[in-house]
Amino acid sequence: MTYALLITAFVISTCGLIYELIAGTVASYLLGDSVTQFSTVIGVYLFSMGIGSFLSRYVDKEIIRTFVQVEMLVGLVGGCSAALLFLSFEHVENFRILLYSIVTIIGILVGLEIPLLMRILKDRLEFKELVSQVFTFDYVGALLASLLFPLLLVPYLGLVRSSFLFGILNAAVSIWTLQLFRNDLKNLLVLRAMAVAVALVLTGGFIFSDQLMTVAETSSYQEPIIFSKSSPYQRIVITCKGKEVRLFLNGNLQFNSRDEYRYHEALVHPAMASLKDPQDILVLGGGDGMAVRELLKYPAVKSITLVDLDPQITDLFKNKGLLAQLNNNALVDPRVKIINQDAFVWLRGSAEKFDCAIIDFPDPSNFSLGKLYSDTFYRAVKRALKPEGIAVIQSTSPYVAKNSYWCVVNTLKSVGFQTKPYHVYVPSFGDWGYVIASNRPFVAAENYPAGLRYVSRESLVQMLIFPPDMMPTEQCINKLNNQKLVHLFESEWSEYVETY
Amino acid sequence: MSRRISRATFLKGLLGCSAALAAGKIALDSVDDQPKFPCRILGPSMDVGHKIRDLEFRNAKVESPALDKKLVIIGGGVAGLSAAWWLRRNGFTDFALLELEKSVGGNSSSGANDVSSYPWGAHYVPLANEESTIVKTLFEELGIISGIDPSGLPLYNDLYMCHDPEERLFKDGTFQEGLIPRRGLQRKDKEEVNRFFALMGTYRQLRGNDGKRAFAIPLELSSQDAELLALDNISMEEWMKTNNFSTRPLKWYIDYCCRDDYGSSPQNVSAWAGIHYFAGRNGKAANAETNSVVTWPNGNGFLIDQLKSMLQQFVRTDAAVIRLEKNEAGRLSTTFYDTKKHSLGLYSSEFCICATPRFLAQHIMADPPSLDSSALVYGPWLVANITLKMMTASKGVGLAWDNVRYGSPSLGYVVATHQNITTRKNAPTVITYYYPLAQDDPLKARQSLTKIDTDEWSKRIVEDLEKMNPGIGRQIVSMDLWPWGHGMIRPSVGFIWGEARKKMQQPAGKVFFAHSDMSGISNFEEAQYRGVEAAKMVLAGAGIR
Repeated sequence: MTYALLITAFVISTCGLIYELIAGTVASYLLGDSVTQFSTVIGVYLFSMGIGSFLSRYVDKEIIRTFVQVEMLVGLVGGCSAALLFLSFEHVENFRILLYSIVTIIGILVGLEIPLLMRILKDRLEFKELVSQVFTFDYVGALLASLLFPLLLVPYLGLVRSSFLFGILNAAVSIWTLQLFRNDLKNLLVLRAMAVAVALVLTGGFIFSDQLMTVAETSSYQEPIIFSKSSPYQRIVITCKGKEVRLFLNGNLQFNSRDEYRYHEALVHPAMASLKDPQDILVLGGGDGMAVRELLKYPAVKSITLVDLDPQITDLFKNKGLLAQLNNNALVDPRVKIINQDAFVWLRGSAEKFDCAIIDFPDPSNFSLGKLYSDTFYRAVKRALKPEGIAVIQSTSPYVAKNSYWCVVNTLKSVGFQTKPYHVYVPSFGDWGYVIASNRPFVAAENYPAGLRYVSRESLVQMLIFPPDMMPTEQCINKLNNQKLVHLFESEWSEYVETY
Repeated sequence: MSRRISRATFLKGLLGCSAALAAGKIALDSVDDQPKFPCRILGPSMDVGHKIRDLEFRNAKVESPALDKKLVIIGGGVAGLSAAWWLRRNGFTDFALLELEKSVGGNSSSGANDVSSYPWGAHYVPLANEESTIVKTLFEELGIISGIDPSGLPLYNDLYMCHDPEERLFKDGTFQEGLIPRRGLQRKDKEEVNRFFALMGTYRQLRGNDGKRAFAIPLELSSQDAELLALDNISMEEWMKTNNFSTRPLKWYIDYCCRDDYGSSPQNVSAWAGIHYFAGRNGKAANAETNSVVTWPNGNGFLIDQLKSMLQQFVRTDAAVIRLEKNEAGRLSTTFYDTKKHSLGLYSSEFCICATPRFLAQHIMADPPSLDSSALVYGPWLVANITLKMMTASKGVGLAWDNVRYGSPSLGYVVATHQNITTRKNAPTVITYYYPLAQDDPLKARQSLTKIDTDEWSKRIVEDLEKMNPGIGRQIVSMDLWPWGHGMIRPSVGFIWGEARKKMQQPAGKVFFAHSDMSGISNFEEAQYRGVEAAKMVLAGAGIR
């Protein structure tokens, strides 16, 4: 029996260290700055173990029963810890409070384990033997855990599964201990049932951890979801709360109906109003039809060609009542022709010429999107414009990613465009940038369509001013064979996200 | 029960726990059902080749009358097609090109399915050097070079230049940018890596005492400075030792490069060839850096397709040449076996360009020039094209064109859809996996390749890929394997600047030879150069220019 109990020491110390490592790793994943996360998690954990050890003095009676109960609790809390942290990250106000609470609870419980175990063993071994044996097993377990974790557990099981697995081990220890002391315990059946229940819950978590993590992803929207669907190209989620409709693609906000007019007016009107007779218009991206809605405010427009990759998006905003209302049924206008194709591929194959091209792609957050901001792409845009033609490009935030923003400007210049950069404050997005690219110098319009809520002759003057904190610190041109923009964008936005 | 626990008991317990954990892991792995997908073996027609070798056709008689041409080109790889391309450019059109396979291409063959086209062999060409004039001529003709910028540098077509990110290396559990190990190196390693590349930079600029580049492309244009040529007489491994390059990361990288370009290991590659890999490429472009390459979804199959469409009228496929001899009238007669109609045919010509691998030429010719065949060492390769439902995630920097794992016996994989200009996420893709059988005795390796076991190979490949991209096995839709028995000539010690290769250049009467074997290095530039050189000799012989 002594031997069996010492193995217990070994298992629980392995489990204990694994929970600590899991908490540290999850915190590093979610919060960044791994040095801070690991050192605070380890500190809090060890301190809590101290509290646990201290508290063990108050356990006077029924040591074995308490030990078994502690095991079950460690198994339950520790086993669920990774899943709990991942699932709650989006929902709790202060994630750190939750994190350190969980670490504290596990620490206290683990701190209780060894003193209790030693007391169970005290009559079976001499004191010097007891200390030597228990701590030997304890530390060997720690070594095993520290090796298993990076080499086997994280690569093969992942954090959530690993944490469930070790919870199951704790539950197994409690079942085993019950078996060892089956003759000394009252209410054995109840305890056994509890232990088995804990083991079952954890096993369930282990088996369904993939599904659990999917829930974690889809539940990260704050407002009620009124529509969600995965198209072959992206995950579309639309939420609605009160009058506010939001569209998310792959989790990124595309618009909020409360202030999208600012974004889309600024995207369309400075360029369009400056043209004398804009007849043929090209829209690349922008399948939500909002830009088309603004374009239709110009009576001169004869044709609008909308090229958007995803038919699910264009169908939604063409046919679904609430959403079509948002764009004023723009997509059913007979002047609008919808083409569901890759913009770059379509542009290379098209010989049509346009007066105005509205380019509204997602931000260059990956290498395939980066290609849509390359000099090669802009050369194709230039070819698709009439001599007097003009293009406007949404080009991320010049406040958050100033070098990325000016990289777009420089890339447009490098293919021979004249550029006019401007920016607008959109509450849902922040300060947002655009660039007008033209063959002739851009002359701002005197008059704008009636009923605009944001763009006017006066407000455009404001938009053209770039304060010093939006000026670039490095200049570059984005090409297919350097993808400078994606590299810049990644570093600038991750810095921003880490800081705020 | 004893109160004390003996050390033996303790260790047993520890062992038991470890065993239990290991068993648990194995059990868990076996629960993960092994990925199942169709795996086919494609590959070059070895039967006909072996029949030629075994002289099965020796006494076959040809029924149909001979077709008359001024020239017959045997072999439709890059060398043969380039010869044809050059001849046509110079107004010489009285020739036929015979190709054994269903389509031309040789080592630059490619395939295609619903998802993408993909290479079966060579898959890129570096920017053309200044001295690589015929490469530039072809590139200009095909629009790969679209113009010249004001400073005189060529402008390459952006869509053909390899898009960023070009390469990444999986080392220490994560992908890093580029293939040169950079992360997690000790200072000594770093210094050595830097010293090595500084030295290669010097070699790149170096000129011999005859004023020629020390390492040129094509290599025939390299300096004949004896001091430089002496590098051919030692192995790359010896050279590394002499120059005190000994750290593991650098040695791995050199080993990778030798396997990548020569299908051989540093101890079997001459130092001259080893250095040529780094010092030869010096191409410049107005819109790219020196080390850039041009590539297409189907690799150099793109170049083949372009050449093919120009030369369609001259090409006869499914025509396995089995004999080349001089007839009574003093003309050359080329007997071929039509693998589709199962009949023999005959060409009569004044000239012949034999653009097959040189070991084949020895079997085809009735009276071949003497050649030390032991000097010709070919490395066998296995290429796999793997169609995926989607690419799975990996650690570290994102998916690149060329993805390599540190320490793997393979060369990793190249993504066929990398050059696409689409934005589809999680889209199906095809990856091309390269595995040179570099360490083994080529003969033995070749035998193991012909008796190839699909289950074993696909398991090995998936294992290798899983290390880089966990979960990729379950995304596999299909896997096609292509064993190349005589994949590439190996530039063994003393081969490039030795006697055997010099002798190989000599024509046999009016039979001219053209193949990258004659350079000792198997790549597009060398094969093209050999083809064009042979074409020039034919033009001279025919009195044109």
